[in-house]
Amino acid sequence: MPNANPSFAVRLARSAAFRLAALQASLFALVALALFTITWLSVRGYVESQVRHAINDESAEILATPAGGLAGAVDEAVVQMPHGPFFYGLFGSNGRRLAGDLDHAPAAPGWSTIEERQSPHGDRDRHRRILVQATVLPDGQRLVVGRDRHSADELDELLQGSFLWAGIAAVLLALLGGVMTARSYLGRVEAVAAAAARIAGGELNTRVPLSTRGDEFDRLADSLNAMLERIQALMEGMRQVSNDIAHDLRTPLAHLRQRLESASRDTDSIEGFRAAIERALTDVDGVLATFTALLRIAQIESRQRRAGFTELDLSSLLTSLVGDFAPVFEDQGRPLRTHISPDLHVHGDRALLTQMFANLIENTLRHTPPGTPVELGLTASGAGVRATISDAGPGVPAVSRGHVLGRFVRLDAARSTPGSGLGLALVAAVADLHGIELALSDAGPGLRVDLDFPNKETT
Amino acid sequence: MKILLVEDDAETLAYIARGLGELGHVVDQATDGREGLFHASEGHYDVLVVDRMLPKLDGLSLLRALRAAQVHTPVLMLTALGEVDARVEGFEAGADDYLAKPFAFAELAARVAALGRRPPLSEAHTTTLRVADLEMDLLRREVRRSGQLIDLQPREFRLLEYLMRHAGEVVTRTMLLEQVWEYHFDPQTSVVETHISRLRGKVDRGFDGGGLLCTVRGAGYMLRLEGER
Repeated sequence: MPNANPSFAVRLARSAAFRLAALQASLFALVALALFTITWLSVRGYVESQVRHAINDESAEILATPAGGLAGAVDEAVVQMPHGPFFYGLFGSNGRRLAGDLDHAPAAPGWSTIEERQSPHGDRDRHRRILVQATVLPDGQRLVVGRDRHSADELDELLQGSFLWAGIAAVLLALLGGVMTARSYLGRVEAVAAAAARIAGGELNTRVPLSTRGDEFDRLADSLNAMLERIQALMEGMRQVSNDIAHDLRTPLAHLRQRLESASRDTDSIEGFRAAIERALTDVDGVLATFTALLRIAQIESRQRRAGFTELDLSSLLTSLVGDFAPVFEDQGRPLRTHISPDLHVHGDRALLTQMFANLIENTLRHTPPGTPVELGLTASGAGVRATISDAGPGVPAVSRGHVLGRFVRLDAARSTPGSGLGLALVAAVADLHGIELALSDAGPGLRVDLDFPNKETT
Repeated sequence: MKILLVEDDAETLAYIARGLGELGHVVDQATDGREGLFHASEGHYDVLVVDRMLPKLDGLSLLRALRAAQVHTPVLMLTALGEVDARVEGFEAGADDYLAKPFAFAELAARVAALGRRPPLSEAHTTTLRVADLEMDLLRREVRRSGQLIDLQPREFRLLEYLMRHAGEVVTRTMLLEQVWEYHFDPQTSVVETHISRLRGKVDRGFDGGGLLCTVRGAGYMLRLEGER
């Protein structure tokens, strides 16, 4: 790992946002360069053609003078415009200057650029470049009309200068923007990293801070926080279970110990020992049943069993389950009314769903007085399936409905009956595994449990 | 019966061996998977009791090797508590029955007895079961005692069929839950007891042949081969 706590500049240079901004700035500089080249070339072309036009016109005007007056016309033009921008020269066929202010003729007729070593106009630079057009006259004389390139060259310089500065400014601005973006991104990322470090350090209730902007960082933070929430809930669940196991298993084990100790101390008949051992075995079986239930819930919650899911006929599963329990209800004088719609199929684990419904049915048997009517229904609801089990017993107070689904929860009214307090926890675990919405409500009087199986298409 | 017991935990091994010995079985012991496989391939046993977790060769591999070698001795597989899916794995590897530790010895004894006295294949295809004067027609799904038709609910019919197929043997509550109800959990209410008592009311009450369906205290139930007066 590199330096664990690098300076801001180093972190900035390493930042993905900054690298992106730098890349953007160089791309921008390239684009600006291309733009400049194109503009420069076209402006130059335009200026050159304008200058040539002007020279052409000037030549034509001088050539329009009657034959023989050409030298006079040239001199007159020089006198009229002593400071340029035009330069003139009339040269004999032998190359001698006949009139004008140009020192010598270009080598070839047509367009060319010549360097004038000496300023033709005293107040100008000593050294200048002139674009000239040489026209060969029928008598061998050459008329040369030129124009200073100075303005075109100046335009060049101006263009180059402004593009250079604008380019530098734009690249600097892009880099600055990159630094600022990177700073802001670094800040957000470092906030997440800091939160993660605190969580790793054991502060499980830490959450990633949210801004008010609702941007992609906030969305990421939201999902992270949801994940942390789940992890914390799981951790707390684990701790809760450890505590519960410690408490709920210690009590029966303590009883068992007391029973064995008093048997070994006070009993002296074989029958007495046998009775004590039988009771002890019953105690041990109770503890083992609790263990089995806990392990089963843990395994269901680990979600490994989804692999065993199949398409199954819930209607026939419930019908057969009701058939199994009906004699028990009958014996206890409890009316059991069922209305199960046929051919309702769900996706699930047959053994677990059987156990879930068996637990719910047994709950009505265990927590209501004999004679209490129980109703069980299965109907199609929308695209899903809804199962309802309700009894007319004492019910569950509204405040307790939320936590009776937890492990080892036993309401005071149920303390006197045998049971581990794991029945509904297992129901909740199976329901969760199957994506079943489990709702407890008041059956007025009594408890009503609704199980909404998810739409098959969405599972 | 001649039984091979493959178990690495010395205490459990001694406990099971002593119990089975007291019931009159001949028990050979092996403490690891390789030794177990060697004995199982060589000797002629009526039942193998194999722990799932064994040193050198685990129970499932032992079983697969045995079945691959065409040894079809019935196997009762023992597993640690809570391995819910172990049951399926065990059956896939070729186990005939499965028991989670810890168990009551009576449970193990009943299952070993049931495995050892598996009916020959031909019996599985019989259409009529007979125990004393009780007669079950599997095709017409009718039960008669002393020629008198008894009306049974479907679950009661399956329960009686299972008891008749294991007549004279102790069947435990868990065996009934697994085989008749196909529940792989222990209901907290008296589903089995209620059905047994109803069945007893229909099959035994009012007949001169004596009580057939009896409760074996601390173990389970048994359909007697002859009515008890």
